[in-house]
Amino acid sequence: MIHYLVRRLIALAPVALGVVTLTFAIIHLVPGDPVVAMLGETAAPADIVGMRHQLGLDRPLLEQYFAYLGGLAVGNLGESISYRKPVARLIAERFPATIELAATGMLVALLLAFPLGLIAGANPGGAGDLGAMGFAIVGISIPHIYLGPLLMILFSLDLRWLPLTGRGGLEHLVLPALTIGTAMAAILARMLRQSLIRVRESDYMRTALSKGLSARAALIRHGFKNALTSVVTIIGLQMGALLSGTLITEIIFSWPGVGRLLISAIGARDYPVVEGCVLTFAMTYVVVNMATDLVYAIVDPRVRMS
Amino acid sequence: MAAALVALAGCSHSRPDRSPSTIQVDIEISPTSTDPRFATDAISSRIEELIFDSLVKSDGDGRFAGHLAESVERPSPTEIVFHLKHGVRFSDGRALTARDVLFTYHSVLAPESMSPKRASLEQLRTIDAPDDYTIVMTTARPYAPALELATEGIVPAGTPLPAEQNAAAPIGSGPFRMADYQRDEAIRLERNPYFPHPPDAVQSILMKIVPDPTVRALELAEGVCDFSGNNIEYDVLPWLAMHQSLEVSKTPGTTYRYLSFNFRDPRLRDLRVRRAIAYSIDRNTIVNTMLRGTGRVATGLLSPGNWAYEGNVTSYSYDPEKARQLLDQAGYPARSNGMRGLTFEFKTTPEGARMGEVFQAMLQRVGIELTIRTLDFATYYADIQAGNFDLTSLQWVGINDPNFYYMVFDSKKTPPHGQNRSYYSNSSMDSLVEAGMSNLHPEARRKIYAHVQQLAAEELPYVSLWWVDNVAVMNRRLVGFDAFPNGSFRSLATLTLSGLDGGGDSSQ
Amino acid sequence: MTIVVAIVAGAILGPLLFRADPLSIDLANILAGPSRAHPLGCDSLGRDVLARIMFGARLSLSISTIVVAISLVVGSLIGATAALSGGPIDNVIMRGVDIVLAFPGILLAIALAAILGPGLIDLTIALTAMGWTGYARIVRGEVLTLRERDYVLAAQTLGASPPRLLLRHLLPGVVGPLAVQATFGIGGIIGAEAALSFLGLGAIPPTPSWGNMLDAGRAFLLVAPHLTTAPGLAIGFTILGFNLLGDGIAQKVGNRA
Repeated sequence: MIHYLVRRLIALAPVALGVVTLTFAIIHLVPGDPVVAMLGETAAPADIVGMRHQLGLDRPLLEQYFAYLGGLAVGNLGESISYRKPVARLIAERFPATIELAATGMLVALLLAFPLGLIAGANPGGAGDLGAMGFAIVGISIPHIYLGPLLMILFSLDLRWLPLTGRGGLEHLVLPALTIGTAMAAILARMLRQSLIRVRESDYMRTALSKGLSARAALIRHGFKNALTSVVTIIGLQMGALLSGTLITEIIFSWPGVGRLLISAIGARDYPVVEGCVLTFAMTYVVVNMATDLVYAIVDPRVRMS
Repeated sequence: MAAALVALAGCSHSRPDRSPSTIQVDIEISPTSTDPRFATDAISSRIEELIFDSLVKSDGDGRFAGHLAESVERPSPTEIVFHLKHGVRFSDGRALTARDVLFTYHSVLAPESMSPKRASLEQLRTIDAPDDYTIVMTTARPYAPALELATEGIVPAGTPLPAEQNAAAPIGSGPFRMADYQRDEAIRLERNPYFPHPPDAVQSILMKIVPDPTVRALELAEGVCDFSGNNIEYDVLPWLAMHQSLEVSKTPGTTYRYLSFNFRDPRLRDLRVRRAIAYSIDRNTIVNTMLRGTGRVATGLLSPGNWAYEGNVTSYSYDPEKARQLLDQAGYPARSNGMRGLTFEFKTTPEGARMGEVFQAMLQRVGIELTIRTLDFATYYADIQAGNFDLTSLQWVGINDPNFYYMVFDSKKTPPHGQNRSYYSNSSMDSLVEAGMSNLHPEARRKIYAHVQQLAAEELPYVSLWWVDNVAVMNRRLVGFDAFPNGSFRSLATLTLSGLDGGGDSSQ
Repeated sequence: MTIVVAIVAGAILGPLLFRADPLSIDLANILAGPSRAHPLGCDSLGRDVLARIMFGARLSLSISTIVVAISLVVGSLIGATAALSGGPIDNVIMRGVDIVLAFPGILLAIALAAILGPGLIDLTIALTAMGWTGYARIVRGEVLTLRERDYVLAAQTLGASPPRLLLRHLLPGVVGPLAVQATFGIGGIIGAEAALSFLGLGAIPPTPSWGNMLDAGRAFLLVAPHLTTAPGLAIGFTILGFNLLGDGIAQKVGNRA
């Protein structure tokens, strides 16, 4: 187990470096002058030169890259141009909000997916299956940018049960989490159904049934374990979608997280903040992926050996 | 499933527990500063007015009334003497004397405090306090709008400069004091016990920062919010008006909305081009439809209520044909697709983008292409203040004295010296506004500014769009609200609450 | 399948049949509800919503088709190159794919769009960066498997040249999975384009895009929900159509393999 952990950590390093490099490349290598974009075309040439120097953009690219890496190592992400505060602090202030939303979204997804997937997989072709899968395919197809406002109209404006926007108590989490969780739930439900069907037709089942176990007991004992592996796989693959979904949902619901910071920084042409936020999201994704790999390894010992 | 979650979360729409004489006011953004020496934007000024008092205040139409000053004298063209009222106290009980006034002004004027208000005190040469209840101001030259120098909110002597943006306001002598401030959340104002007020007046105000306009409307409808001034979307007003518990009040305002040009662009320096743009905008229709009638088509910076208002100026009715002729004359003939190869960039904030699209469509009809560039407010405002734009649309809030023309049209008042962000330069305008500034006789000034307004309408440094009405939406339990033409919240200080509870949503 | 056909037909034919101009502003009709003249109502500037939906359809479909086409070609080439070169080059390319995949979906597109600025061309570039990896993996997988297959080795000994080999033997195997990926890809890119336009990083006003229509509708949820429902349902049904189509193709392909 420790071996696996260590091996995965070592494999993490080049990917992490790659992510950092890619982020750097996007911000610094794209055509167009960020300083002119920031200060405006009619800004005084002296101001442009000054800002470029302040941002360190007049140094050779390689030097900038290593300076960036060095800064990262000590947690320095530069300073925001609009807020005049360290980028790391701005992100740290908002990170908990984003995690709260993402985690709750994931929770909602699991809570929705399990019953749906079980109903569908337990009786393939039946009414429950059709209903659940109908819901699933619709859930995958509705984009967040519609589902969010739709839920707002229904539950905030018409029924007045829940608050419209912003972060606060539990009632503020409901709609955003539902928005994020529905699409993921749909995908998870489909996957669960798939794996349940496979299990039913697999050798395990036949062996268990021949041993005299009832169908349901066999399903539960073997089905669950397999389902778990598939679910973990899918969760890992869906992490990216979860994070992007969180980003968009933050905008829709005015949720004070890193995603909202990113979008407003884009509007303000505050490139240090944009870079910092993109990096935060990407690294979160990498770390969560590694965590899912670990869970996978715990659940399925075969993985550890490979 | 969803229902279960909702039940878990519980209902959240009961009115928050407030003492009966508290009202909630929703504002759209946090003030940039709570210290009156630094507050320049509209929200900061509105809040500042409730906490601080000044020597004199204007009633929005250019007439001044004494507040801290009991009487004012002008012994010579360059001297103004203020006699302070006795018995005025700050909210902590301290007496307000000339020392505090002196301190406030000195801290604004000190270069190291970097106060944005310093520029507005440019004409002040000296300020002295010969005794505890007298202030003497002198100006370098005769300065007609001298009373405008006396509108600074006064803080107690010794108040430090604001350390950071999240600090609560300093002590003031106004009707309220700031009891609590959570940035981006809420501000709580409580009565200043030493400021006289009617016996049943509202005791405290909770100013909640609600950036989402839909939420503000909802809070009004549900009775959570009692008052909102000039921050409700026009399209939502009819919906709000349907509620029995709410009153929508529209009063003519002095806020002036205009289209601004960049005079450093040779194409825009051509009067024919500017005139063409003026003729191609259908202001009447916009006011009646988009603004839902909450505005008046404007003839110039000053609105009809101002003592110096001159209505007999060149006007520009909607005439796209004339616009096209002017553009032909200016040397921009139309091609086969109707466009003339004239492209301008219109900078705006996201809220202003919709209006930008209207301008875009109207200009397109006469062959001018307008591209829209949307920026967030901070970036946009910085660009505008630096003169970094082709065309943009803004408003001036709280114009009092016509000397304002000097700040915006005098060729020496370009950034960073003043608000002439267009870099407009016209020697006739210069002589007129400079004369208006130093002539102390009201009749003579009125004549001078009549010329200024006529010149402005002829030369079009701005295209006047409309004067914005002040729209306040309030719960009917609020009694005695007086709308000021400049949108001031001052009358919140004398509000009383009626016994009948306006309650929540009763229209559905 | 039917849904997709309907939407494509609507997008192409609609603007031809319908006289309404999606760009013409009619201030008297601001936020008007559905009526005979305007079956889906009008938006905040009095523009006909149905016309804007149709133009949005055209935009979404053309952009996503182009993006998927480019992604497919680029991805396939990269995948094939990786598989054929083998060894270290293959490793490097696959590492590169991993790194790109280490970026959560739309985030990459947002980052690129943020730097490149709004506009349709930049949007296309940003969206392409998102999707090419899937095709690369599919093609690489196929090519690798093929290399070991008997008939390929046999054909090689008979003197057939590699490019010809590729085309004749690779294509049948690869078409299926690629088609599935592409179909789901179009659905995904439509969603991504909508999201980017929603965030202000895609189509610039006054060009209608379902995404920026949804964004504009947000301010009017209270008084004009039809501004949200129309584009929302449009996106939803379109993506649904492509997802169903993708499912269908996947079943066919699965059966054969």
